[in-house]
Amino acid sequence: MSLTERKAPSSQRASGSKHHAGRKTPLRIPDVLFTGALAVIAVVFFFPMLWMVFSSFKSNSAIFATPFALPTEIDFGRWVEAFEIGHIGQYALNSIIVTGTSVLGILLFGAAAAFAFSRYRFRGRNLLMGLLALGLLLPLQSYFIAQSTMFTQLAITDTRWALIIPYTAMGLPLAVYLLKVYLDAVPNELFEAARIDGASDLRVFGSIALPLLRPGLATVAIFSALSSWNEFLLALLYIQDDALKTIPTGLLAFSSRYVTDYGLLFSALSIVTLPMIVIYIVFNKQIVEGITAGSVK
Amino acid sequence: MKANRTATPYLFLVPAMAVFGFAVLFPVIMTFAYSFTEWNGYGTMVFVGIDNYIKAANDVLFRDSFVHVLIYIAITIVLEVVVGLVLAGLVSVHRRGSLWFRVAIFTPVMLPMVVVAVLWAFVYNNDFGLLNAALQSLGLDSLQRVWLGDPATALLAVSVVSGWVYAGFYMTIFYAAFNQVPTEVIEAARLDGANEWQLFRRIKVPMIRNAITVALLLCITGGFQGFDLFYVMTNGGPYGATEIPTTYLVKSVFTFQNVGYGSAMAVVLTAVVVALGLVFTRVNREKPEDVRS
Amino acid sequence: MPVTRKKTLAAVAALSASALILTGCSAGGGGSDDNVLRIAMGSPGEAQIRVWDDVAAQFEAANPDLTVEMNYQDDDLYQTIGLPNLLNGRNAPDIYFEWAGARLEQRAADGFAADLSDAVTSGPIAGLFDDEVFGSLTVDGEIVMVPHAADVANVLWYNEDIFADAGLTPPTTWDELLATCDALDAEGIIPIASGNKDLWAAGNWLAHLTSRVVGEEAYSAALSGEADFDTPEWVEAFGYVEELADHNCVNESANAVDDNEGAQLFFQGKAAMHAIGSWLVSWAIDEAPDLNFDYVNLPTMPGEGNQESVIGVVTGYVVNAKSNKQDLAAEFLALLNNEENVQAFIGAELTPMALSASSGEEIDSRSAGLINMLESAPAIVLPPDTGYDLETANALYAALAEVLGGQTSPADAVAGIDQKLG
Repeated sequence: MSLTERKAPSSQRASGSKHHAGRKTPLRIPDVLFTGALAVIAVVFFFPMLWMVFSSFKSNSAIFATPFALPTEIDFGRWVEAFEIGHIGQYALNSIIVTGTSVLGILLFGAAAAFAFSRYRFRGRNLLMGLLALGLLLPLQSYFIAQSTMFTQLAITDTRWALIIPYTAMGLPLAVYLLKVYLDAVPNELFEAARIDGASDLRVFGSIALPLLRPGLATVAIFSALSSWNEFLLALLYIQDDALKTIPTGLLAFSSRYVTDYGLLFSALSIVTLPMIVIYIVFNKQIVEGITAGSVK
Repeated sequence: MKANRTATPYLFLVPAMAVFGFAVLFPVIMTFAYSFTEWNGYGTMVFVGIDNYIKAANDVLFRDSFVHVLIYIAITIVLEVVVGLVLAGLVSVHRRGSLWFRVAIFTPVMLPMVVVAVLWAFVYNNDFGLLNAALQSLGLDSLQRVWLGDPATALLAVSVVSGWVYAGFYMTIFYAAFNQVPTEVIEAARLDGANEWQLFRRIKVPMIRNAITVALLLCITGGFQGFDLFYVMTNGGPYGATEIPTTYLVKSVFTFQNVGYGSAMAVVLTAVVVALGLVFTRVNREKPEDVRS
Repeated sequence: MPVTRKKTLAAVAALSASALILTGCSAGGGGSDDNVLRIAMGSPGEAQIRVWDDVAAQFEAANPDLTVEMNYQDDDLYQTIGLPNLLNGRNAPDIYFEWAGARLEQRAADGFAADLSDAVTSGPIAGLFDDEVFGSLTVDGEIVMVPHAADVANVLWYNEDIFADAGLTPPTTWDELLATCDALDAEGIIPIASGNKDLWAAGNWLAHLTSRVVGEEAYSAALSGEADFDTPEWVEAFGYVEELADHNCVNESANAVDDNEGAQLFFQGKAAMHAIGSWLVSWAIDEAPDLNFDYVNLPTMPGEGNQESVIGVVTGYVVNAKSNKQDLAAEFLALLNNEENVQAFIGAELTPMALSASSGEEIDSRSAGLINMLESAPAIVLPPDTGYDLETANALYAALAEVLGGQTSPADAVAGIDQKLG
């Protein structure tokens, strides 16, 4: 399911499904072959993750001797152990705080900026929009060196802000761009009517623009949450304190410390992976919409 | 849109521009400034003119890192964009039961790259890794190798992991785009006797050209910024075979503390990525059809 | 309209206030005027971490207002990115781990190493160490490091059971080593395990080998940037590394796996020998308690160098010159090296430098032998990455890895080092 599909005119969609339901022409490639091919591809894609979960229940020697065998028993004791000695709870909490704050900042600041760009003409508008648009193209390498020396001098490193600030900044260009597209599509009369009723600029933003932006905000939230959650390079450079590490760098620390206890390591990987898979299956539709809209910028 | 001489629009812009300017724009300018200096990050800074750029131009390792990333990008275009396109084509023909399939293929996108990298380092492990074990059970022992330790295969091995993650991502984008192709066009072609492959090749793919352009742009600019997989799986090795600009940059700046030289390389890299980005957006702008709307 | 604008202003000000909190709040920070003593090091392993945490608790008990904060980083990360970031960051450590040699000198030059001369001669640390050890810990007449342990950076460990089964004796000469490799390889056992992904593991071993061939002085000169690598002696030295490759001496995956995984091959009996440092003892006791193993120093090589040389490094703790708790830090280092804690570290398989280490609890015979070997060594070779400039060390390591992996000829590899270093 995609944003596109959802938004498509209903007639087109209806005709599409009718076509598939009531197609008279015989299938050119047999259904079975298709299903088979898809199943094989899906299994190949999914297998490494299954293997990871199976291996988490095995001993080192079992992983070595019979890598494909199913585990002889399912014992979550190793998972508990990995969770506790790996400080995974702490890393997850840090990731939640950092990602949550960044996404909030992106949504709030991004919506305000998009509102300004969409509803007002003002001096410097094109310049500022151009600068933000440049942000869509600039690679991380263009700023992370000076950013790190600057953060060090300002003593921001080894605080959560060292991640929240750049994650927010990196998410803003796309957020502003997408939200502006949404706002541009809103008929001007809606805003004018409110203004005639005496609503302030802020009220117009808060009670008209923001509610209208809700689908756009959801898209931006999903897209920026995923990239903040998974960001690695800056987290590696800016956070040395184990108590502040996020999941990617925390897990790396864990994996280099317990690299020879494969079962434990696979347990930690599984603990981190499974919630993401569950979240994805539950919010699959929204996430796919978010990604699709977010990437087709 | 309101012509406005008040401070209002600026006030709405202050938070976003402040954060963006502080964390991105200002560092971009400073990185450019550093690139003309010799500096270890905290001691005295010495202005050296364009020496760092001359050094970069003559740096074999830097040049190799570009070659590696170009190979990586070429492979990932095939494994991510082309495979994604084909998968999307399959799924869009055969929609029944495709949801679970799309879920399976897309799931890797959700995982932190570090998790993916650690997991795949095990898949490639020489002693008990999945891949060598699978080859053995298929009787293909001769194909077994130290995937990440052999310079002939390491770059390919890392690229495959990237493909595993992102094929589903691009499939999702293309699937959305395919769903927008007007059914009338497809119906008409079908009445003319076109088979599914011809439909895919002649009708559907050309009609989502914009989405493909965007996907290529994402794949290329994303490829230049690759880091996580390389850092965790090979750290540039074996024998520098997987050294890419980002890993080389991180080593230069943070391990060897050559901030000035690293900045010069960063500027070169930035120029390449931004130039590519501009070329692509120019090309794309000529056809303003927006996939999203 | 004015009213409207005022409201807008107020609200947007609220928005940007959060931006200011984001950008401005920590600008004034960086001082460590709090009552926290911060100590940073690469992770020394679970057993020693327990001792450290205990020492920290003792110190907190003696100084009730104070908190001791330990930061155990990933080893490789600490050595490269970690420590410089910490030192330049907020909450810089008051005490940090360092290796004696070029690294220590660099810290002193950058103003991160406090003068501990008084503390060592007349202060809390006086009398804990043999005065001689401070020779290599003195920069510009100032003692800048308190030693903690001495590490032999590389010896050849061997599995006694595998050697007995195969009727082999530990090799003491180069030819014996190659013959041992052939014999083991023929039996399908990996002769020497190495996990060289990060380049220093085999790098230190092979650097020691080259120093035996080119001589300690030529070795030191090349690594210090005073002489080129591209000499016939270095090519000859690299030629021996090529012989290792030709005789299948190391695991095929040597350059793809890290040091932990390399050790695992040895622990699981897949490899008969393992070239790594003295820390293997404490690892093996945790991970392979049933393994029967011992060590020999690097076999003698044909060449200029002292054939009894030992590659080793003194490690210890530096007090940050920017710390405002330097006296407390010196007291902590004194506590760390008191008799009781030294014995606890011995129990965790560390071999402390303090004088009291020679009394009391029994050190593992292998650890004792290693420390003895280091103390009586006629020549000590410094590991490239801790004794010399890291970039030079890395170039040497990379070249050694290429030859060990059969990728490059000795002549090309050696020429490549000079080329890389410009």
